[in-house]
Amino acid sequence: MNSPSVDHLSSPVAPPPVVVARGLTKVYDTGDTRVHALDGVDVEFHRGAFTAIMGPSGSGKSTLMHCMAGLDTATSGTVHLGRTQITGLRDAELTLLRRDRIGFIFQSFNLLPMLTAEQNILLPSQIAKRKVDKARFDRIIDVVGLRERLHHLPTKLSGGQQQRVAVARALLNAPEVVYADEPTGNLDSRSGAEVLEFLRTSAKELHQTIVMVTHDPVAASYADRVVFLRDGRLVDEVAEPTAELVSQRLLKLEEA
Amino acid sequence: MLRTTLAGLRLHKSRYVTTVLAIMLGVMFTTGTMVFADTLEAGYEKTVMGSATSVDAIAVPAADEEAQEEPAPLTEDDLAEVRALPQVAGADGLAEGQVVLLDAEGRASGFVPPAAVSFGEHTRFSAEEGALPTGGDEIALAVSTAEQLGFEVGDTVTALDPGQEKREFTLTGLVEFGADPRYSYSGVVVFDHATLGGMTGAEGYVEIDAVAAEGHTDEQVADAVAGALGADAEVRTGEEFGVDLAEGSGADTAMLRVVLLLFSFIAMFVAGIVIYNTFAILIAQRQRELALLRCVGAKRSQVFRSMLAESLVVGLVASALGVLAGIGIGMAGAAFGGPLLGMDGAALTVTPLAVATGMVLGTVVTVFSALVPATRATRVAPLAALRTSATAAGLEKGTGWVRVVLGLLAFAASAALVTVSQLSGPTQTGPVIVTGAALIAFLGVVVLGPLLVRGIVNTVGLPLRKVGVPSMLAVDNSVRSPRRAATAMIALTVGATLITGYSVVSASTETTLTRMLDEQFPVDYQIMAQLGTEAAPAAEDAPAEDAPAEGAGAEEAPAEGTAAEGPGTDPAAPAADPEVEGLSFPLDPGIPAEVRDALGEQGELERIIADRNVYVELGGDDSLPVTTYINGRIGVDLTADTVEGDLTDLGPGRVVLSEGHADGARVGDTFTVPGLWGTDDLELDVVAITEDGGGLNGATIDPQDFAAAYPEVHEDRTLYVVADPGAEADRVRDAVLSSVADHPTLQVMSVAEMKEQFTGVLDIAFYTVAAMLGLAIIIAVFGISNTMALSVLERTRESALLRALGLTKAQLRRMLSVEAVLLCLIGAGIGIVFGVLFGWAAADSVLPNMVFAVPAGQIAVFIAVSVLAGLVAAVLPARRAAGTSITGALASE
Repeated sequence: MNSPSVDHLSSPVAPPPVVVARGLTKVYDTGDTRVHALDGVDVEFHRGAFTAIMGPSGSGKSTLMHCMAGLDTATSGTVHLGRTQITGLRDAELTLLRRDRIGFIFQSFNLLPMLTAEQNILLPSQIAKRKVDKARFDRIIDVVGLRERLHHLPTKLSGGQQQRVAVARALLNAPEVVYADEPTGNLDSRSGAEVLEFLRTSAKELHQTIVMVTHDPVAASYADRVVFLRDGRLVDEVAEPTAELVSQRLLKLEEA
Repeated sequence: MLRTTLAGLRLHKSRYVTTVLAIMLGVMFTTGTMVFADTLEAGYEKTVMGSATSVDAIAVPAADEEAQEEPAPLTEDDLAEVRALPQVAGADGLAEGQVVLLDAEGRASGFVPPAAVSFGEHTRFSAEEGALPTGGDEIALAVSTAEQLGFEVGDTVTALDPGQEKREFTLTGLVEFGADPRYSYSGVVVFDHATLGGMTGAEGYVEIDAVAAEGHTDEQVADAVAGALGADAEVRTGEEFGVDLAEGSGADTAMLRVVLLLFSFIAMFVAGIVIYNTFAILIAQRQRELALLRCVGAKRSQVFRSMLAESLVVGLVASALGVLAGIGIGMAGAAFGGPLLGMDGAALTVTPLAVATGMVLGTVVTVFSALVPATRATRVAPLAALRTSATAAGLEKGTGWVRVVLGLLAFAASAALVTVSQLSGPTQTGPVIVTGAALIAFLGVVVLGPLLVRGIVNTVGLPLRKVGVPSMLAVDNSVRSPRRAATAMIALTVGATLITGYSVVSASTETTLTRMLDEQFPVDYQIMAQLGTEAAPAAEDAPAEDAPAEGAGAEEAPAEGTAAEGPGTDPAAPAADPEVEGLSFPLDPGIPAEVRDALGEQGELERIIADRNVYVELGGDDSLPVTTYINGRIGVDLTADTVEGDLTDLGPGRVVLSEGHADGARVGDTFTVPGLWGTDDLELDVVAITEDGGGLNGATIDPQDFAAAYPEVHEDRTLYVVADPGAEADRVRDAVLSSVADHPTLQVMSVAEMKEQFTGVLDIAFYTVAAMLGLAIIIAVFGISNTMALSVLERTRESALLRALGLTKAQLRRMLSVEAVLLCLIGAGIGIVFGVLFGWAAADSVLPNMVFAVPAGQIAVFIAVSVLAGLVAAVLPARRAAGTSITGALASE
């Protein structure tokens, strides 16, 4: 499972990669034209790493995430989560995989409106009929600062609070990887900063693997590593990014 | 604007499928009913008219308004006079009597012997199959009579002659008598004229049919016949006669039409609720779309009109489909139902009225249902609607206190009405009041619906939440928009209430009647004489003479019937010749004593009880039925609910009175029972007073007293046979039947069979009503399915999120199924509670001493059906939800 080609750019600690994509290709057939949303992507994500996937609109970053998360099926190539090859799994197996081993944070509509914050956080565990680690639950709740808001319905929470609930839900189960799709896209900059800070903290302190899709260089600067996508291909990578650096690379991509 | 509307309709047409179906079903039923009834009516008219117009003038004996007796028949002379008229080409008379017809088992058929008729060449009847009888050993039957008894042309048919001797005839033909009310009840036998006279002693003619000679109109013939017969006859042209007949038979069709339209009204009402809910949801979901229209410059009224135009198009299309389907249903109904109602081969009649009613009804209901949601939609400020995401705004506000107060008031008013109906005692108006109370209670449910749904879901949901995540989510989902859920549910509640209510009434009626039979006649067989025939040969009366055309058959009042007996002969005259004219009232035909003796010798039978009775005129319109039960232990074998006293105290010198006949007498008083034919009045001690309307009506006295006061009565009216407790049913039956073998006219009824019969009738009525109401249920299920489908659409993103978080497809489907089942169960549950409540109230308000029965089995079936309905309603929405791609749904806003 080693891939020497990208190893030198990743975190110096170099624990075994949690997610590995090889030659990942996704082709949309729209009648007369074939669109390569992903065109042979090779990428891997290591344990405890917080990685941002960036790229211009239509670069395939969401598709990449969906394929790696088992939400969408790739046309060819493989994705491994730990030892499991998830490409080729049937829908029922993918469902269990998502339930037990992956966490999600979406841009919006993250929460079920009829469930309270606490119920939303516990939902994946309940679906899986899993015992909840009470200590971990308390710790996460305190970290994201939701203790007072546990029994509120989502409509009574601010956008930032809602995203924090989503983060808590994604982290509770200690999944092998958390995918965050534009988690701060709908938030003001202060709330966004809070959420990103939680993500970075959990990666560092809980050794949580996090993959975040974003188009915001500031958001990306919270990550340990940024990978750039254009036209379905992995074109660049930045370790220990800053917002300026990311912006420059992004501009360069747009120009090229 | 219209273009936008139509484009919107095209875009959303899948959302309208179930709505269109609901409207269509309602319209279909309405139009179908009208087409069915019109076709039947036209068919009746055609058969009745057709038979009548085949002759030109019809003369019947003129009825004297004053006298209640049948008018004297027309004579041979009358017929000869008619024949002699120059305007008449030919004429024949219809003679009529009664004859006892034996079925294949050798027992007389029917409570009333069939009419026996003969007619000549000129007549409005003709053979439907085979030929008319031409000789002394030939017979024809009415088609319905033959069908009922299972005879076919060529069979041998046995009838009794006036001497009660069996005579065999060959069945040569079947005659269609159609809907003629004179014949449809009793059945008809046709002989040739001479045989009829021999078999029934019928004299004269009850009808003379004349055909016009060349060059004369039917009016001229009728006038001429009327002139010849004078005041004795009433003469009409064939056409007039036919129209009169058709009007009479049309009444049945009209009744059927009213009943069916009532059901279609219910169906349309339920469809209205479904349509309203659909539009409410659709318009709510399209708020942003509408707001966008407003933002780009559409006026409020334009948006409103566009919504109405949309509903108009939907209504018109659905109604048109419904009308077409209705014509099909009506056609099928006439084809299959027509023969059952004694009419077939009628041409399909589609009146413009039927089509128009369907179209207008469907369209108006649709547009009207869309009115409120459309108004609501246009009231929203454009920008506000654009900003809020319509799909996310799922949660409604709580129920206002105004609603609560109104709802509780409605319930209170309903309860008050029910109380009134119960206090006033059994009356005919009772069910009407109860129906009113039920309607008011419905209003309460409509008003309190959202609250009820939330309350019930929260209670019922508690255990469900524990079952698993899908159930938990379903419980939460079902109270997200309680108003929407309540409306969807109420459609089902209407149907469930009606069906349950009817089943409770039906079951209670059955139980009550069964109990009455069991308690008051704890017997196994009951033997009575055939009404309208004289007693067997043992009777000294001259038999055949007054049998024909006596019309006794019309009074099919049961044996217990009170003073409805016919001709009022002079009560002052009796003493002279009791046997001939003498009885104060003509008695029901009796049962010869030898039958009782024969039964008494049978080993299988424990006890033979006989009752004898007379009606004593008390002056004025009052009469007192006096009854005695020979061999019957009052208070043991024969019971009744008492007001006071003890029935078992009855003995010589004592009397039991029913309250209405007691004339204020109480237990311990002395009561006078008048004697007849010169015997002394009886002065009797009152030992018990029974309730009216139960068993033991009038005065019940000891056989010894009865014999003393009415020595001329020596025939039994009814025999009650109690079998040995351990005897086998078959042997008891043989014992009874062999005892009456020599008396074929006696009607032997097994009480078990009687019970089966009325249970059967009640069951058929129930299944018919249930089938009719089933349509309302189907429409309601469409409504729930529609609500589910639209909710699923609204929650596409949520479903995707759940799937992303690891909910399997099966779990997602289960979630939606549980939600739909929950809705159906609540709807049906409220309906069942209401049905039981109001069914009880309705039954208790008409039936005295009602025994309340809840048909647990049927209710269990209703519950099972509603669970099934929920599952069915969820199938398509759930498939759709589970089939949606996660990434696609997540990407779409």
